[in-house]
Amino acid sequence: MLQVLDALLKSTLEAAPALVFAALGAVISERAGVVNVGIEGMMRAGAFAAAVAALVMPTPAGVVVGMLAGATLALLHAWLCIRWRADQVVSGMAINLVMLALGTFVLEARFSPNGTPSIAQLDRYLTGVPFIGGFTALTVLALAAPFALHGVIQRTRFGLRLRAAGEKPQAVAAMGVSVSRLRYLAVVCSGLLAGLGGATLSVAVLDRFEHHMPSGLGFMAVAAMVFGRWTPLGAAGAALFFSFGSALRIGLTSSAPGVLEVVPQGFLMALPYLLTLALLAAQKKGAGQAPAALGTPYDPELR
Amino acid sequence: MRRALPSVLSVLIALLVSFIAAAFTLGDLGQAASAYLAMLQGAVGDWPRYFETGNPSTVLRPIGEAGTKAALLTLTGLSVAVAFRVGLFNIGAQGQMVVGALAAAFIGAQLQLPSPLHVTLALLAAALLGSCWALLATGLKLWRGVHEVISTIMLNWVAVSLVENWLVVGPLKATASGTNSLSGTAQIHATAELPRLVADYSRLNLGFFIAVALAVAVTVWMQRTRAGFESRAVGLAPKAAEAAGVPVARRVLQAMAVSGALAGLAGGTLILGTELKYPATLASPYGFDGIAIALIGQGHPLGALGTALVFGALRAGGTHMQLFGVHKSFPELIQGLALLLVAAKLFWERLVAKKPAAGGVT
Amino acid sequence: MSLDLAPGERLGLIGENGAGKSSLMNVLYGLYHQDSGELAFDGAVARIRSPQDAIARGVGMVHQHFTLVPNLTVAENVVLGDEPTRGGLLDLEAAVRVVDETCKRLEFTLDPRERVDRLTVGSQQKVEIVKALRRGAKTIILDEPTAVLTPQETEDLFRITRQLSEGGATVVLITHKLKDVLAFATRIAVLRRGKKVAEVTPAETSPDQLAALMVGENVTNDVPAAALAATGDAFLTLEHVSAPGLNDISLDVRKGEILGIAGVDGNGQRELAEVVTGLRPFTHGVLKLGATHWKKLTPAQARASGVAHIPEDRLRRAIVGDMTVEENVALGRQHVAPFARGPFIDFAGRRERTTKLLETNDVRPLDPLARAGSLSGGNQQKLVVGRELDAKPKLLVVVQPTRGLDIAAVNAVRAKLRAEAAAGCAVLLVSLDLEELLALADRVVVMFEGRLNGTFARAACDELELGRRMLGAEA
Repeated sequence: MLQVLDALLKSTLEAAPALVFAALGAVISERAGVVNVGIEGMMRAGAFAAAVAALVMPTPAGVVVGMLAGATLALLHAWLCIRWRADQVVSGMAINLVMLALGTFVLEARFSPNGTPSIAQLDRYLTGVPFIGGFTALTVLALAAPFALHGVIQRTRFGLRLRAAGEKPQAVAAMGVSVSRLRYLAVVCSGLLAGLGGATLSVAVLDRFEHHMPSGLGFMAVAAMVFGRWTPLGAAGAALFFSFGSALRIGLTSSAPGVLEVVPQGFLMALPYLLTLALLAAQKKGAGQAPAALGTPYDPELR
Repeated sequence: MRRALPSVLSVLIALLVSFIAAAFTLGDLGQAASAYLAMLQGAVGDWPRYFETGNPSTVLRPIGEAGTKAALLTLTGLSVAVAFRVGLFNIGAQGQMVVGALAAAFIGAQLQLPSPLHVTLALLAAALLGSCWALLATGLKLWRGVHEVISTIMLNWVAVSLVENWLVVGPLKATASGTNSLSGTAQIHATAELPRLVADYSRLNLGFFIAVALAVAVTVWMQRTRAGFESRAVGLAPKAAEAAGVPVARRVLQAMAVSGALAGLAGGTLILGTELKYPATLASPYGFDGIAIALIGQGHPLGALGTALVFGALRAGGTHMQLFGVHKSFPELIQGLALLLVAAKLFWERLVAKKPAAGGVT
Repeated sequence: MSLDLAPGERLGLIGENGAGKSSLMNVLYGLYHQDSGELAFDGAVARIRSPQDAIARGVGMVHQHFTLVPNLTVAENVVLGDEPTRGGLLDLEAAVRVVDETCKRLEFTLDPRERVDRLTVGSQQKVEIVKALRRGAKTIILDEPTAVLTPQETEDLFRITRQLSEGGATVVLITHKLKDVLAFATRIAVLRRGKKVAEVTPAETSPDQLAALMVGENVTNDVPAAALAATGDAFLTLEHVSAPGLNDISLDVRKGEILGIAGVDGNGQRELAEVVTGLRPFTHGVLKLGATHWKKLTPAQARASGVAHIPEDRLRRAIVGDMTVEENVALGRQHVAPFARGPFIDFAGRRERTTKLLETNDVRPLDPLARAGSLSGGNQQKLVVGRELDAKPKLLVVVQPTRGLDIAAVNAVRAKLRAEAAAGCAVLLVSLDLEELLALADRVVVMFEGRLNGTFARAACDELELGRRMLGAEA
């Protein structure tokens, strides 16, 4: 029994960090009022850049490169949405489409069709110790980051302004604070976190970039954010819950295939999405927790 | 035609930027140029060789391939464009296409009917299931206030999980014949196949005409009927439409039903025209492409048709680039970049607004 | 434009909509930039490029549409932009203290920990004032501050600001209400078409003179006298109607009568108009239009029964900005001749009717293909009024019909309403402007917290009594 629990916990905490980082990234951008459905593309950029960078430099440095790659795409997203008032959903989806194709193209042209060469994974600590051992530093970070972001949003100047910019940007502007700068900053932070989430996949979960990465995790991160009602703790909780769900599913496939004959695997895979839909549907109409100014470009001449 | 200007410029710039990217990645300008030439020949036919050899397949085959792909892009592009008209962002065309494809594969393989009836029934089933899938999200939007962008993203993954990880590997899996194990669902009967248009030269099928006809039909509906007028009013200013006595919920449901049906038809056309069964995974994300096609087409049904023709051709050409080390998804990169460029709304507004002033027209 | 402000002064800045009052003050507050000329503080030329510069120069502004974040607390709103911190974290206790101190000094009460969206409009305005003072404002600009206040709240606001000016602050009051400037200002500047046309003191002027200065010619401020002739039977009757935001409403509007609805913004007037036009479902009671009883009413049914609607929020409720003028004319009657033929649009009929309507209502430009959103506010309103009256309504529901219009347009709209009533139409008029109600309505009903709080015949209307009722006082 204990062994089963240990295995479940291990595989949950192995899979969760990528999703947690990406979901936190989604939270920070959307709290500032900028929709970010481009998380998937930013994760892909992070995963690819980290795996390629780690070929020529120490893996931790590769992670940083991955984060920067995510941030670069986020900067593009912010520039389109803020400077050119692009529809935020359109811009995000465009980034996803570009990254999907660009990743495949560069992978094929420079490496092999399936993936990049292996790299050294991040170090794992206390391997062999049950329950708490065998994780990379990223797992620890993923458990601490939600609390840190919660503190930032609720207890700091930047956080207060961020919340205000997502609810009523005119109020922020009238008090002499630049809405654009706040939003740029938030979206770029979002990209850093999404890039980190992507890098986690290629340096900790696996040891290379594979052509299908992150295979929908970015969208699941958006689901986790909605499920967690746009709060860091809620989003991280949802991400952990989703990861636990998939750990359970994978665990069942290998240890108790009988169960899958009763409950098809497809159902289990659809479950996080169905749960998110059910939660949204059950919510009182209009009681959505989404920031009020989400998705609307700030126009200083409108008030 | 000024409305088309941003789209045309965006596609041209995207072609250029992608070329530079290819040249850098391949490290060879000549190779990139050859790849582009191959794409062109794959898109519109190798005319010099046709005149040299007189072999019709050198032009009919590529053009047929382009038409086949354009038909699918037109259908999903129309799907997204119709939803846009009532102000909804249907990111779920992919999911609607997946369930539509499954429905067509099921009807095509499980029933025995005379040909015209079989094809029609399979297509109708695809449209119906796609429609239902879209209406799930629409109902959640209208009665529970769930934003359609979120719900359709969720429903995409629900569709893919249920279809590809349950039905296609479970209840609907093809029974193995002899020693070779099969993947995907059973092959559809010949009576369910969409008739081919140019004999054996290409896979081009009736789906192309269906797509073009639907683009025209949607245009008439949106631009010339009062139902279409009401739908546009709903999309542009729902509160004003409501105050004017427009049945807002009915118009939204109607448009989304059509949107889902179009995406479902794309799935049906894909199965009945090209795949001939639901494969293990439906690798082609035509549903997501629909977003790009609709937006580059400025949300207009004929714009979507035009954009789909261009990118259908580029994609047919894309398969010919592989000889030069360029993945066949390269045209998708061009398409994504073009979408990014089109998205810069304010930029085009200013550009288009400046033009007449410069010409002295007030 | 030249203007100077002295410490301790209360300047009234008066002019019509579009006269440049708000533009001037937005330049001073750094939201807009001047094309030429300069600003000086204490004799030194200063450049104000952003609100930040303005705040640094001691300028504070209370906007017409408040700039408060609804889901933050009073204290959080007050410190936004210059937050006290301790050890890098927000010091909300310090923020609470600031609010408490200011409230005490100016003798009003605010709970610093209350969320702003739970406050009344009057209290929200006080939060804006505290916010400005917190940033050290020595010059306070109030942009149309009394538009949404009751007479009592207005008096309270004037008391507070008077107190501030006596403490050495400069207060600028932007308004188009003659009464307010005369009661409040120590000096009055009149703006017209972006120019200052006069500077007077309240003692040496009169409302008529100010009105003439604002418009540039002698205007009679009155509308054709109310039709005191006997009105007909009731066309609209509400019996014990309740809906979200409305509580047990019983009233009727007779043919040929204008019934005015008074109330502080957000006390159910909008909801009432929405129920009558079918936009808001009601849960209890019966609504009667003519001889027909309705327990459920859709906008389409209301229109078919002869209800026309001139809503407050033109660009959201009445006009589709991205459609052409002719498409907007069809809106509401898109399914009948001359706008439709069978299931198709009748393009020729639509064009013909639009051209006629634009001419008779003097809508500029005379272009059926112009984007409706590109028309000026006045022309948009003329378009809406013309369209709604073209349907020959039996009941006209009008909400804030003259907001944002210049005097000529205001008079034109008011005359149209009177003429419509005189022709036998029942008119339900919702307005936040008591003056407008008193000028137009045959009877005035006061609403408070979603219920009726008194009905007054035109002759029996007393502004102070109406104000008391608007604040919830019983008879």
